[in-house]
Amino acid sequence: MIREGLRRVAVTVALTGIYIVSSAHVGSPDAWYEGSAGPYHVTIQVKMPGVVPGVAQVFVRVSGDPVDRVTVFANKFDATGGAPPPEDAERVTGEVGLWSAKLWLMAGGSNSVNVGIAGPGGSGTAVVPVLNVATRRLELKRGMGIGLAATGVVLFVGLVTIVGAAARESTLPPGEQPSSRNYTRARVAMGVSSLLVVLLLFGGWRWWGSEDQAFARSIFKPLPSEAKLSDDRTSPRLDFTIIDTAWIHRSDTAWLRKHHANSWTPLIEDHGKLMHLFLIREDLGAMAHLHPSTSDTVHFPSTLPPIPGGRYRVFADIVHESGFAQTLVTSIQIPTGVATGVATPSEGDDSWYAGVPVRGARVVKLADGSTMTWAGSSVPLVAGREAGLEFEVRNADESPAQLEPYMGMQAHAVVMRDDGSVFVHLHPLGTISIASQMAYELREPGDSIRGRLGKRISAHRSGMDAADSSTSSVSFPFAFPKEGNYRVWVQVRKDGRILTGAFDAAVGAGVTPAG
Amino acid sequence: MATAAPAISTSTAQKFRAASIPFAAEWPIYAVIFSSTCIVVGLLWDISWHRTIGRDTFWSPPHLLEQIAAVVAGLTCGYVVLRTTFAGSAEARGISVRVWQIFQGPLGAWVCIWGTMMMITSAPFDNWWHNAYGLDVRIISPPHMVLAAGMIAIELGAMLMVLGAHNRATNDTDRKRLGLLFAYAAGIVVVMAAILLQEDAAYGNHMHGAKFYRLTGAVLGLFLVAFARSSSIRWPATATAGLYMLIVMVSIWAFELSPATPRLAPIYNAVTHMVPTPFPMLLIFPALAIDILMQRFGTTRDWTLSLIIGVSFVAVMLAVHWFWAEFLLSPGARNFFFGVDKWDYGSTLGSWRYQFWNLDVDSTGKWSAAKFAKGMGLAALLTIIAARIGLWAGTGMSRIKR
Repeated sequence: MIREGLRRVAVTVALTGIYIVSSAHVGSPDAWYEGSAGPYHVTIQVKMPGVVPGVAQVFVRVSGDPVDRVTVFANKFDATGGAPPPEDAERVTGEVGLWSAKLWLMAGGSNSVNVGIAGPGGSGTAVVPVLNVATRRLELKRGMGIGLAATGVVLFVGLVTIVGAAARESTLPPGEQPSSRNYTRARVAMGVSSLLVVLLLFGGWRWWGSEDQAFARSIFKPLPSEAKLSDDRTSPRLDFTIIDTAWIHRSDTAWLRKHHANSWTPLIEDHGKLMHLFLIREDLGAMAHLHPSTSDTVHFPSTLPPIPGGRYRVFADIVHESGFAQTLVTSIQIPTGVATGVATPSEGDDSWYAGVPVRGARVVKLADGSTMTWAGSSVPLVAGREAGLEFEVRNADESPAQLEPYMGMQAHAVVMRDDGSVFVHLHPLGTISIASQMAYELREPGDSIRGRLGKRISAHRSGMDAADSSTSSVSFPFAFPKEGNYRVWVQVRKDGRILTGAFDAAVGAGVTPAG
Repeated sequence: MATAAPAISTSTAQKFRAASIPFAAEWPIYAVIFSSTCIVVGLLWDISWHRTIGRDTFWSPPHLLEQIAAVVAGLTCGYVVLRTTFAGSAEARGISVRVWQIFQGPLGAWVCIWGTMMMITSAPFDNWWHNAYGLDVRIISPPHMVLAAGMIAIELGAMLMVLGAHNRATNDTDRKRLGLLFAYAAGIVVVMAAILLQEDAAYGNHMHGAKFYRLTGAVLGLFLVAFARSSSIRWPATATAGLYMLIVMVSIWAFELSPATPRLAPIYNAVTHMVPTPFPMLLIFPALAIDILMQRFGTTRDWTLSLIIGVSFVAVMLAVHWFWAEFLLSPGARNFFFGVDKWDYGSTLGSWRYQFWNLDVDSTGKWSAAKFAKGMGLAALLTIIAARIGLWAGTGMSRIKR
């Protein structure tokens, strides 16, 4: 039984291992936030270091009138000793309203990047939750390797030469010439010291290797999960399960202590849902956005929507009370026809879409006859540069549509690279999880009891859901992390119905690719 | 001590029999001793900086001290070598060793030059390491060991330059002065070695585990014995250990008087002053044992002496530090003088502060007398080996004249 469990875990890990995982979202480690900081409208990008501790690069664009000062500091959700003093950001030369700062992120896991703005309009702050985890392995570049090796050879030869000189002459009285015996002694000393240094270098090499392996093991992996279809064909159900043993035993303190498992924090709702589950067919021809219910935060069943058969990548966004957001990754084979004719989604906010956009099309027709236009800038898309994901929805009669909030957001977008190496679920306020942001904003000193903060966040959100955006256009702050072909699905709610528009994006190599 | 070789001519020998050494010939020694001092002060400061403030730059004051140390040592010794090689007097050449048949300079200068090159090499390596594996806040990492090897080389080079002058000196005043300077240079090396052991052998919390005695015996035992054997002063190991303790204690008081606050998150321990170095080990006691034993045994029975020094060093260390550790963890030590119970800004303060670490435990997690005894036996064995190597190295050092 245990062996079978381990095998399943191994298979799942092997399956999920093909993705370059970067905490919340996949293959896109940077955090984006667009919103208000007091009286100012800001767009903030945090380029994550990919190592812990590391130095993040923070870019802050302040729209409108110039401001006097931009500051940044990081913090952890549970820091008991206060916050460090903020560091001043500097203006980026040649860019209007753009500021930049380097920010040291010392602790792994959920951190907040706190941006302060001061100017004629007063002062304001914005909190950007970021996930500081190791996400990449830096190779030793050829030039660097050759340089280090060459210096090493010089130092090696130098050391052995000095040992030889010491053995030959250092004990001779001033002015005396070394004898043949001294030369022999020098040769022996040089031989022995060479051997010792080689042994030392070998030990150092092994040490480096073990450090590298330890780092490779520390690269972040989301909780292992699996997705299966239930056997009941009359009402096809998708069962998504977190199969991480430490998570399953998270309430068993004796088990956690025995296995030296880390402390955990419960899941909290992110814009009203404990989980946002995405199924994306490998050929990008179909996508579903579901919100399974759960009674134990281990099993997340949902009704399978009527999506075409095929192999699907499965991404599940969850947020912990610590503010740590992660995307669980697995895959599932959905047999053709299994979900045909079943049109009752598990919840009203669930949505799905099947279809392939016309290549290069900037305007697509939505299910209710209205149109969605990619109105963003038309310059070629480049990795690492803000993509201009701005979309406008018009009614069938060309009049601007009145979009309604969809789970408290103006819109949702899903970005996927055609090889599955990038998956991002974003909103007009960016890639950040609103729940993570609120975890920092609403935390109080007494929040040491698990679940207390989560309840407050849920209550706060239910008040926000009533807000009406009353707009026809939406935009998403984002930069594609690397070149390649992407598909972008944009989801809005109109007349009580969720509409999905799909676009293709060919992204060129950038000069400063993110991540 | 080596006897004068018969090959030396009387006239050459007379050239070196000066009544006292002029400053013009001695300033490179003071320059490298200055570098050596900058290295340990900079290192103690840098460690405290990372534990208190966190945020630093390439140009932080402790880093600047290290850079000054490398520049002063490298330039001084480079100048000495070039001058001796191309414009050196017969006296200067006579106290040099040759490298690649052309270049000439005192042995210590060569070691300092090599150390400077190691320090410079470690910078890009460390930078790459930070990018690859994170901003390591550990003392022991591969690039830090390259840096440490360079630093130790400069300190040993400085010590060898003093030693060469000391062993050449014919005047009692010079010998005494240079003997004390040698004890100081050696004390600096002991401070450096103690810093490298800090993660496992420094705090009172470490002192009930055999690992503490293994590390201190193998490393500090070797250095103290080597210095004692090569020095001409009466209580060399004790003086060296005393200087180590004094340097560390002064640094503790200086840190405790310097206001500073963390500049990085997360802050779990809101410190208000620089976090001090752990209180120095009471090394003067085992050092005193070394001095007494070496005075009794002379230089003819080194194998027996190594055996006795090895066992005595560990025994005295254990007898002193077992109870000293209990004092250091008690409220009586939590004051300005001892500076204990001061922790990093990122430490979550808890009962671990007053517990012993690295204890010798069995598979059930309980302290095991058998395991501890085995560990202490290994500590004695390592210290015996270290003492033998120390005696061998010290004998060689006492003969250095160039």
